[in-house]
Amino acid sequence: MAEITVFTAKKIHTMNPSLPHASAVAVRDGRIIEVGSLETLKPWLDQHAHHIDNRFADHVIMPGFIDPHLHPTLGAILLTCPFITAMEWRLPDRICPAVTSHEAYVARLAEIEAEFAGTDDILVTWGFHRIWHGDVNRAVLNAISTTRPIFVWQRSFHEIIANDAGIEWLGVARADLERHPQIDLSTGRFFETGMAVAAQSLNKVLMEPTRFRRGLELVKQAVHLGGHTTIGELAYPLLDDAREWALLSDTLERDDVPFRMKITPRALGRGKFEGDASEDVERIKGFKGRDSHRLFFGNSVKLFTDGGFFAELMQMMDPGFIDGHHGEWLMAPEQFEKHARAFWLEGKQIHVHCTGDMGVELALDTLEKLQAEKPRFNHRFTIEHFGVSNPEQVRRIADLGAIVSANVYYLHELGEAYWQKSIGFERASQMARVGSLERAGVTFALHSDFTMAPALPLNSAWVAVNRIAESGAVLCAEECVSLDAAMRAITIDAAYVLAMENEIGSIRAGKKADFTILEQDPWDVPLEKLRDIPIWGTVFEGTPFPHSK
Amino acid sequence: MSERIPITLLSGYLGSGKTTIVNHLLRAEKNLRLAVLVNDFGAVNIDADLIENSDATSVELTNGCVCCSIGDDLGAALSAQRERTPPPDAILLEASGVSEPARIARLVGHWPGFTLDAIIVAADGETVRQRAGDKFVSHLVQSQLRCADIIALTKTDLISSQACLRVQAWLRTASSAPVVIAPDGAVPPELAFGANSGQRRDGSQPEDSEHPAFATFTWTPSHPVDIARLQAVLGNLHEDIHRVKGQLVDARTGTPVLVQKVGQRCAITHASKAEQFCLVMISADEQMDFKQVAADLDACAVASR
Repeated sequence: MAEITVFTAKKIHTMNPSLPHASAVAVRDGRIIEVGSLETLKPWLDQHAHHIDNRFADHVIMPGFIDPHLHPTLGAILLTCPFITAMEWRLPDRICPAVTSHEAYVARLAEIEAEFAGTDDILVTWGFHRIWHGDVNRAVLNAISTTRPIFVWQRSFHEIIANDAGIEWLGVARADLERHPQIDLSTGRFFETGMAVAAQSLNKVLMEPTRFRRGLELVKQAVHLGGHTTIGELAYPLLDDAREWALLSDTLERDDVPFRMKITPRALGRGKFEGDASEDVERIKGFKGRDSHRLFFGNSVKLFTDGGFFAELMQMMDPGFIDGHHGEWLMAPEQFEKHARAFWLEGKQIHVHCTGDMGVELALDTLEKLQAEKPRFNHRFTIEHFGVSNPEQVRRIADLGAIVSANVYYLHELGEAYWQKSIGFERASQMARVGSLERAGVTFALHSDFTMAPALPLNSAWVAVNRIAESGAVLCAEECVSLDAAMRAITIDAAYVLAMENEIGSIRAGKKADFTILEQDPWDVPLEKLRDIPIWGTVFEGTPFPHSK
Repeated sequence: MSERIPITLLSGYLGSGKTTIVNHLLRAEKNLRLAVLVNDFGAVNIDADLIENSDATSVELTNGCVCCSIGDDLGAALSAQRERTPPPDAILLEASGVSEPARIARLVGHWPGFTLDAIIVAADGETVRQRAGDKFVSHLVQSQLRCADIIALTKTDLISSQACLRVQAWLRTASSAPVVIAPDGAVPPELAFGANSGQRRDGSQPEDSEHPAFATFTWTPSHPVDIARLQAVLGNLHEDIHRVKGQLVDARTGTPVLVQKVGQRCAITHASKAEQFCLVMISADEQMDFKQVAADLDACAVASR
C-alpha cells in the first residue's frame, strides 16, 4: 500500500453538502482517504505513513470538473485549423482573440497566411461569421494569396468560401461547379449541398491520419486546460468504430493523460434511420469487455430527436421560425420510440439529443408512454442540449423523473442572433432554461458539446449564472441559476448525469482523488468574473498535473 | 466530359413501401445497368437474387447540419459509381424516411458528373393522411409530397376502393404531382428511369423484359418548334402523361434544345449535342390516348422564320 499524501489548501469546496468546506484531503492509491483538516485527519495519519504536500496552500481545491458531453473526434478535426472567431477561444496551443470586424478579419487571415510561408499546405480556417466579419469573398481571399488554396469555414459549418487557388485545388470540373445552384464561383461561396462538394476534397486533408492524431493531441490538452478530470463522449462512434477505437485508445489510454472518458454509444449506427432495435441492443452489448482504465462504456445509450441548434435545424413547435423554415428529425419519431422502448426495457440510461421544443416534446411523449408500459425509477433519462423548451416541459421533465444536460453556451453566442434572425426575443432569450430546472428541482449538468462551445466548465457556469449574451446584455435574468447549482452542474450533478456519482464529482472518503486546482475561490469573485478564474491544473487519481506555463 | 449519370430519387416516410418499389424496379428493369444506393443496407430488405442485376451499395447520409454529417459518404459513393467501367446507366437512390427529398435532390442532382432525373415519393395509402396531420411529422410528410415529381400510392390493396379514391383526391390537394397506383410497388421502370429505360449508354442490346402496364408515344415534329407554344402545351398536358423527354429544334434560334418533363417539373434547356429530333411520352395508364396531345404538338411545329 502506498504512502498517504495529504494535500492542504486555502480552501477545499467538497461539493458534499454534509461537509461543504475543508482545508486538507488525504489521498492514497488514487483514492480519497478522508477530507477535513489536518486535525480531523489525525487518526489516519497517526497510524499510516504519510507526507504533507503544501503546494496548494494558496489555492482552492474543487472536485475534478466533469463535462458529460464532448466529442474528442469532432474536436480533433477542427483544432488543427487556425481559428478566426468573433468570440475569444482559449485553446491549449493558442489564444484566439475576438475578431469582430471585416478589416480585422482580413488582417488576421493575412497574418496566418504569412505564417504558412515555406509550406505548400492548404489553409483552412474556422470561425467566420458574416454578422461580424462582413463580406469575405473570393476577391478578398485572392488579395491574400493567389497561389495558396484558402478555405474559410463558417462558424456554423454551413458554408465554405474559397479563393481561386482553392477552387482549382478541389479538382472538380469547372462545368460541374458552375451549374451547381449552391456554389457561386464569382464570390467563391460553397454553401449547404454545394459545401458538400468542397468538403469531399477537404476531408482528405482534415481526416488524414497524421493530422487527425495531432488534432486528438490538441483535444487532450484542451480537456486538461478546462480543468476536466472526466469527460463523456456522448455519441460513439463519430465515424467508424474500428479506426476510431484504435486511435482513441492509443491516444488517451496513456499515463500522461489526466482524465478518463465514459463512452456512450449511439443506439443506431450513424447514418442509419431504420434499423432493427434488437440488433442494436446486441451490438451495444458487444462493447462490454473493452473497458480499460481511462476509456470505458457504461449502461448508457444515445438517441437523437431533432437537428442541430447552430444549424437552425431544431424542430420548433408553433409558431416555428420567423422565416418559416422547418427543422429536421434525425430519426423518424416512430423509430425513435421503437429504439427508446428496446433500450428502456433493457434497463439502459437513455440520453436524448433534443434541441428544439418539439424535439423535447417527442422525448417526453415517448418517456411518458414507456413509464406507463414499464415504470422505472432512477432511470436518468437525460435531455441533452436543451436549446429551446417551454416552462410546462420543465414540469413534465420533473414529473417523469428525467434529468437534463444543457449546453447553456447557446444563450451566450446565439441568444441575440436568434432573437433578431431566427425565433424572436421571447423564445431566444429563454433558451437553455436552466433557472426553471433549478426551481423545479430537476438535476442538471452543463456541457460544452465541444466544439459547439469552448470546453471550459467555468465558462459554462459563468453563462448559467449571468446569462450574459455576446453583446454583454443579460438575456432573461429569470433563468439564471444560483452559483451553487452552476458549480454542482460541472461536478457532482454532472457525475450524476454520467451515473458515476459514487466515484467522482465530490470530495469525500472513498471517491477517486480527482481535483481541479483554482487560483481563486468561485464563491469569492464577482459572478461576472467566474470564467476568468485561473486554473493551476488538476490532480487525477492523486497525481498532480499542472498546466504548462 | 462524358454524359452525366441520371439519378432517380425514391423518397417517402417510414413504412411507405420504398423498399418494395426498389425490389420491383430491380426485377422489372433488366435493360439498364442500375446502381442502387440505399441509406441503410442492413435494414432494407433488397432481395438477394436481384442484386446480381445491379449493384447495391449502402451509404451513410445523416440528416441535419454538417457537424452531424462529417463523414457522410453519399458523395463518395456517387463519385465511386462514376469511376466504374462501364459506369452505371442510372442510379436509384432510396432516401431515408426522414430526409427532405428537395435537399437530397440538390445534393445528388448537382454532384459532379450526375444529374437529377426524377423524384418519386411513395405514399402509404393506409396511413399517409393521418401522418400528414401527425403532431411530429406533419410538416415532413407534407413537404415530401410537395417535392414529388410522381407520387407512388402504395398499399392500396389494403384499403377499399372508396378509401383509395378518397386518398387520391386528398393527395391532389397536397401536391401537384400525378399519382400512380402501385399496390405491390409496381412502378413501371419507364416511369422511374424515363425513355432511356431499355437503352444502354454504350449501345449494347438489352434483353427482352417484362414490364408492368404503361403506354408510350413518340412525336416527331415536321418542323422546328415554337418554344413558347410548346411550353404552353406541356404545361397543360394530361396529368397521366408522366414523362416527356427528347430533343427538338428551337424555331427562333435554330439550335437544338433538350426537353424534359417529369410530373409537373418541366425544363427546356440548351442541348449540348444534337440527337434524333423527337419527344417520347410515357404514361402509367396503358389506355392513354395520345391523339389530342399529338395534334396540340403539331401546332407547335412551324417553319423557320
